[in-house]
Amino acid sequence: MAILEAAPAPYLKPLPEVRPENKPFFDALKNHQFVVPRCDDCGDYNWVPYPACRSCLSENQTWTPVSGDATVYTFTVCHRGPGAFNAEVPYVIALGELAEQPRPCLVLGNLVGTAPEDVRVGMPITIAYQEIPGEDITMWRWVARG
Amino acid sequence: MGFPKRQAAIVGVYTTKQGKLPERTSFSLQLEAIRGALDDAGLTTADVDGLLPMSMTDHFPGTTAHQFWAEQLGERPLGLVEIGGASGQLAKAAAAIAAGLTDVAVLFFGRAGGRTGPGGTKAPEQGAAQTRAPRVPDDWSFATAGGYMTSWYAMWARRYMHEFSVTNEDLAEVAVFTRYHATLNPDSVMGRKGEITVEDVLASRYVCEPLHLLDCSIDNDGGYAVVIASAERARDCRKKPAWILGGAEAYYTDFYATINDPWFPNQGKAVRKATDRAFGLAGISRDEIDVAGLYDCFTITTIRDLEEMGFCKLGEGADYVKEGHLRLGGSMPTNTDGGLLSNSHCGDPSGMHTIEVVRQLRGECGARQVPGARIGVSLQQGWAVHGMASTLIMAAD
Repeated sequence: MAILEAAPAPYLKPLPEVRPENKPFFDALKNHQFVVPRCDDCGDYNWVPYPACRSCLSENQTWTPVSGDATVYTFTVCHRGPGAFNAEVPYVIALGELAEQPRPCLVLGNLVGTAPEDVRVGMPITIAYQEIPGEDITMWRWVARG
Repeated sequence: MGFPKRQAAIVGVYTTKQGKLPERTSFSLQLEAIRGALDDAGLTTADVDGLLPMSMTDHFPGTTAHQFWAEQLGERPLGLVEIGGASGQLAKAAAAIAAGLTDVAVLFFGRAGGRTGPGGTKAPEQGAAQTRAPRVPDDWSFATAGGYMTSWYAMWARRYMHEFSVTNEDLAEVAVFTRYHATLNPDSVMGRKGEITVEDVLASRYVCEPLHLLDCSIDNDGGYAVVIASAERARDCRKKPAWILGGAEAYYTDFYATINDPWFPNQGKAVRKATDRAFGLAGISRDEIDVAGLYDCFTITTIRDLEEMGFCKLGEGADYVKEGHLRLGGSMPTNTDGGLLSNSHCGDPSGMHTIEVVRQLRGECGARQVPGARIGVSLQQGWAVHGMASTLIMAAD
């Protein structure tokens, strides 16, 4: 499990709004677990979370910890950024395909700790956790694995 | 039963000045466009019985688009309101006209002062102005990772280039031919800057790798409108009608949060579904198209449009462009106004491609006219890559 240093303060980039429906996810992040709704009936993982399973429409889903291991499905190096992100260019956004299958889950996040020019499609990555100073939330990032 | 071919026609089109328009408001651009398109048709606001506002069309807070615009047009009951993407809205309006739900409908959009690119989000002021991180309501929004339109299309381009061995040079060819077209369009924003080369595209700065600045659409103010009318009304209008032969729309999830793997399935996604249905309803084949307007928010978009629409096979879009089919003089001149890359991207430009095709079918395009253009197609897409798509097939008499 990868735990990053807390982000520098003040943190001025957008953050998700924690609400009753997504609170289990953000509670798990605080405990350094990445959880994905898994269908109790057909077993498929569903990302991003939706009210029912995409495969069988069952509403019986359980927030289930995943390994966090993934590979880079695609990525971009941003040289312009909206708002506070513009002070951090170049930064990398990646879609990571989780190891858990059969329904592929592609999770969006910033890939940190690797020089942008070294990022490749297919590169092994894993979820890392980062505290946000002054905010009651932990965020996830992608980092290189192995 | 089938699609009511030639029972409705586009009878009026109008584009305001496109570019930086600091003295204008979005409402004034929309009103100018509505009046202009009706005048082009020889109609007045009293003739309007249906509204086709774009999903991003402004209205007062607390109103809906239909309330606001029905009131603005004189609080007359209107027979039809359809929101969506332009090609699909017009296809649905044609079907509604044939069914007798309405006679004359107007599609419109205008924007002043907004920006679609990363500059549209203000940087936080230094010091006291912003002390906390803003919260975004959609839990999984790409905004929390610094994402915006360009980054999403860049990830699409990266994956596509990876799977099909396509290069930055290949993408650049799209920017080159559309700029050439813009130089022949005196109203285009970029035409006056002259032609560009593949090297120019590669030498422009990256916005989001692999997309350079010249792989991206421009980001400007502007308005436009389209009037569609029944065959009976069309016969009395001022200009040659552009008859609706067929059209369809399709929606797909891809909404800037995640996508499903594979991103490029053989069976296609929304653009394929809308286009297959549109051609099927129109009863014509791809090779009958004389002129096309294909949504081109980025160079990658045009290449993917061609594949999804069935003008070439999956993975062959870049080669199809390089063969010259889309350039004026080619087998299917495309985005002859300069497209979103070099003519105008005014925020929600999904009707702009249809307008240029109508002008081609009328023979109004001067130096960029496609000789003898009789049948044209316009493709709208948006809301993430190919997330909402629609295809409209039109013909001159």
